[in-house]
Amino acid sequence: MLVSKLARQLMAPVAAIALALGGAFPTAWADNDEIVLGGSIPMTGPFAFAGLQFDRGLRDYVEWINRQGGIEGRTLRYVGEDTGYQQDQSVAVFRRITSRENVNFYFGDSTAFQQTINRELDRRDILMTGASFASELNDPERYPLQFLLGPDYSEQVGILLSYIAEESPGARVAFIHSDTEFGRDPIAPGRSKAEELGLTVAATIVTPPGAADISSAALELRRARPDYAIFHGYVLAPIPDFIQRARQMGMNTRFMGTYYTMDQGIINEMGEAADGFMGVMPYRYYYDETGPAPIMDAIRELHGDYQTTTYTQGWLTGVLITEIARETLRAGKPFTGSNLRETLDSLSDIDTGGIFGQPVNFRGNSIPLGRIYRADVSQGQMVPVSDWIELE
Amino acid sequence: MRIGSPKESYIADEALFRTRTQWVWLWLLLAVLIAYPFVANLYWLFLVCLISINIISATGLNILTGYTGQVSLGQAAFMGVGAYTVAWLDNNTGSPFFINLLAGAGMATLVGLIAGLPSLRVKGLYLAIATIGASFILQFIFINWESVTRGTRGINIEPPSVLGVTLDNPDTFYWLVMPIMVVMVLLAANLFRTRIGRAFIAIRDRDISASVLGINLPFYKLMSFGIASFYAGIAGGLYAYFFGAINPESFPLLMSIFFLAAIIVGGMGTILGSILGAIFMTLTPEILRYGVDILSPYIDNAPQILSPLRTAVFGALIVGFLLFEPHGLAEIWRRVRRFFHLWPFRT
Repeated sequence: MLVSKLARQLMAPVAAIALALGGAFPTAWADNDEIVLGGSIPMTGPFAFAGLQFDRGLRDYVEWINRQGGIEGRTLRYVGEDTGYQQDQSVAVFRRITSRENVNFYFGDSTAFQQTINRELDRRDILMTGASFASELNDPERYPLQFLLGPDYSEQVGILLSYIAEESPGARVAFIHSDTEFGRDPIAPGRSKAEELGLTVAATIVTPPGAADISSAALELRRARPDYAIFHGYVLAPIPDFIQRARQMGMNTRFMGTYYTMDQGIINEMGEAADGFMGVMPYRYYYDETGPAPIMDAIRELHGDYQTTTYTQGWLTGVLITEIARETLRAGKPFTGSNLRETLDSLSDIDTGGIFGQPVNFRGNSIPLGRIYRADVSQGQMVPVSDWIELE
Repeated sequence: MRIGSPKESYIADEALFRTRTQWVWLWLLLAVLIAYPFVANLYWLFLVCLISINIISATGLNILTGYTGQVSLGQAAFMGVGAYTVAWLDNNTGSPFFINLLAGAGMATLVGLIAGLPSLRVKGLYLAIATIGASFILQFIFINWESVTRGTRGINIEPPSVLGVTLDNPDTFYWLVMPIMVVMVLLAANLFRTRIGRAFIAIRDRDISASVLGINLPFYKLMSFGIASFYAGIAGGLYAYFFGAINPESFPLLMSIFFLAAIIVGGMGTILGSILGAIFMTLTPEILRYGVDILSPYIDNAPQILSPLRTAVFGALIVGFLLFEPHGLAEIWRRVRRFFHLWPFRT
């Protein structure tokens, strides 16, 4: 009786120690014929809406490419674990995966993590990409082993501003952004870009992230009377609230958003109010069937229903690392991060299988290409209103 | 069974480690800590470094909340002050890391003393809210004092180096963080053998009685805030060096709640509680990953399905502790020890 009671009390710590010791030794090393993509993926926490889709996209792509014979005969393997969108857990996952696997590529989940792990990437010679489009990371000097999966946030705003300058020269523009690292990212460069393009910055409005009370911010917007208002640093809330209030106040402002705002959710969640909402999207939507897009066809074949743009982002990661790995293998170079980066810099007019509407080129660490789409509620879809815009 | 541990002097009675058994275990523990980096891989070294940083901060908070009875939700923000001070000094003066760390702790102490001022008038939940206020103000400063903090872009910090060895990886950083953690914990344990520590406990148990006993309440309350923030400052400085980059979102309010949960789960008002609590809170989510690993072959798409479950199990464990072991892990530890004191006889 007593012994069993003690056993019960000791069970948990003993099990913990046993597990700890078990984990203290490397378990498996990757086969030389494998290419390993590790990932710190936010499957829980505030960014899970995207993290779960990255994970699905990456897994589906890996399965698909391996069915096509892999990359130059090598199998691609993906190992992703949940981080809860917390920096220390993201680093823990990185350490956990790299201590068990011979990782070649890595997918990071946040700007903070991608900054923190940078030194370790250099040491381990791993090439990384990820969920962040932070302008800070678009610096090959400081982040030589990282690349972004599209235009950085400043470039996204730049694409929007170029469109505005083209459509209505001299227009009044307002920036509405959340008071976060994410929200502040493109604001200062956006303001100078606007001036450079001859636009007037009518207001810069800061709000707390998420669904906060925006009454005073809405009044500030009304006073500024901008022709266009660009939201950045939000996913959805408080954008619907802003738009509804603006409509009630009889404003004709046209509202715009950046990548993470521009998924189908904006139509599904906002309904009628979403009509006319515009924004920049670097990837083709699931239902956009204009022009040849073999990768998008593969996605459509795999899933009969709508797939989010973050799911496509997972596929794009796969497409780009496949391209980089293939060229490196063909050149007969050792498979190190620095060589992979060299290959990336040497690539031009990369074919992304139609995810981007035209062949892409890296400038620094990013691909400054995107297209303006508009929410058409009657069709229930985002429809393109511009051609693909590439920033110089 | 252990019998007869007579104390022949007051010093012996007050000693931290009183029996030979305790000393043997202590030396054994030290031997394990020294041997650990030679057997563990980088992942487990990373976790132990992170746990050590968390132990330092949790110990500080336990001095303030567990021993002095002043609830604080500002610990993460004070860590931020330490981290930013270290980062600024590292980037602008190039002074040695040890000076930076002490300066970070000193700055955090100063800020902690100011943030502790409301404790002179309010306590309990009111004080908790006041410290949340302090934490928001500090967060605002981290974001907006761009010339020092680089705002939301964050600051990168070069790894420290000792005698030409760069401590830029968990296997080398361990030799910095582990000794500091041991010293900080020993200092905290010793604090409660002194007049100051006893004053803290008296304030926690009944502030009016403490005042009647002649304890200067404002002085000791502020001192407790100062000491807790000093610990936070050291932990924050180490955090900055360890992760190599910080931004205002590195020290969210949730992190303060994490430390509060750690000392509640570990055991408030015991040094061992801070250690066990920090270990539990840091390690459990990681150990639950092994559950995901084990189930992966049987469940298609296991990481995606089981990750939310992992978070839920972690939450349930915390609730379970509060319900079934309100005195925390330290109490379980004590029971196990008591059992062995009398083993093989029953109590």
